[in-house]
Amino acid sequence: MTRRDRALQTARRGAVVMGIALVGLAGIYVRALMFTPIERTQGPAQKIFYVHAPVAWAALLAFSVCGLLSLLYLVLRERKFDLMAAASAEVGTALAVVMLTTGPLWGKPVWGTWWTWDARLTSTLFTFLLFVGYLVLRNALTDFEVRARFSAVLGVMALVLVPFIHVTVYWFRTLHPDPVVLKPDAPSLPSVMLVTLLSSFAVCTVLYIGLVMQRYALAVLQDVREEEAAGGIS
Amino acid sequence: MEYPDNGAYMVAAYIVTAVVILVYSITLYLRVKKHRDR
Repeated sequence: MTRRDRALQTARRGAVVMGIALVGLAGIYVRALMFTPIERTQGPAQKIFYVHAPVAWAALLAFSVCGLLSLLYLVLRERKFDLMAAASAEVGTALAVVMLTTGPLWGKPVWGTWWTWDARLTSTLFTFLLFVGYLVLRNALTDFEVRARFSAVLGVMALVLVPFIHVTVYWFRTLHPDPVVLKPDAPSLPSVMLVTLLSSFAVCTVLYIGLVMQRYALAVLQDVREEEAAGGIS
Repeated sequence: MEYPDNGAYMVAAYIVTAVVILVYSITLYLRVKKHRDR
C-alpha cells in the first residue's frame, strides 16, 4: 500500500468518525436544550457550559497533542510527527475560535462583562494567538525541514502553556469558575447535568479525533504531491 | 420559578458553535475530496 493509499484510507475513516461526532453533537444539543434543567441563579445562559467547556477541553487537548508531537519530531525527525502536529494545531485553532466566542457569550450575562484581562482568559487568548502564528509560519515557509523545525519549537511551547492555563484559576484571582469535573474532588454538578456535560466531553473528543484524521490525511496527500512535483522538476 | 432573562446569549452561543464546527468540518471534507480526486 502506497503512502497516498494509506492517507486516503485514513481520510475515509476520519470522515466516518467525524460524521458520528456531528450526529452526537446534534444529540447533545437536544439533550442540553430540552432535557437538562435550567440552573436557578444563572438561568438559560448556564447551558452554554455544555458546549463551552467540552470544546475548550478538545482545543487544549489538540494543542497538547501538537506540543507532544512537535517534541517527538525534534527528537526523532520523522516527517509524520510534523504533519500530525500541524493537523492537531489547525483543528485546535478552529475549536479555540468556538471556545473564545462562547466564553464571552456566557460571561456577559453572568459576570456583567464580555471580557476581563485575568490570568485564565489572557493566557488562553495568548495560546490561541500562538497557534494562529504557528499556522501563518507554516504557510510562509516552503522548505520542509525549516518549516517543521521552526513550527515544532512553537508547538512545544504549548506543552508549557496548556497546564498553566489549567492552574490559573487556582493560582490567581479570576472571574473564571474553578473546574467542576477535572479536579481532585468529586464533580460538583447534579447527575442530570453531569451526564449532559460528560456526554458532550466524549462527543467533542471524538470530533477532535475525526477532524485530526481528516486533516492529517490531507497533509499527507499535499506532502505526496509536493514530493512528486519536486521529483518531476529534478 | 423565575430565571434571569438571558436565553438569547445561550441561543447565540449554540448557533456560533454549530456554524464554526459545521463550516470547518465541511470545508475540511471538501479539501480532502479535492486532493483525492486529483
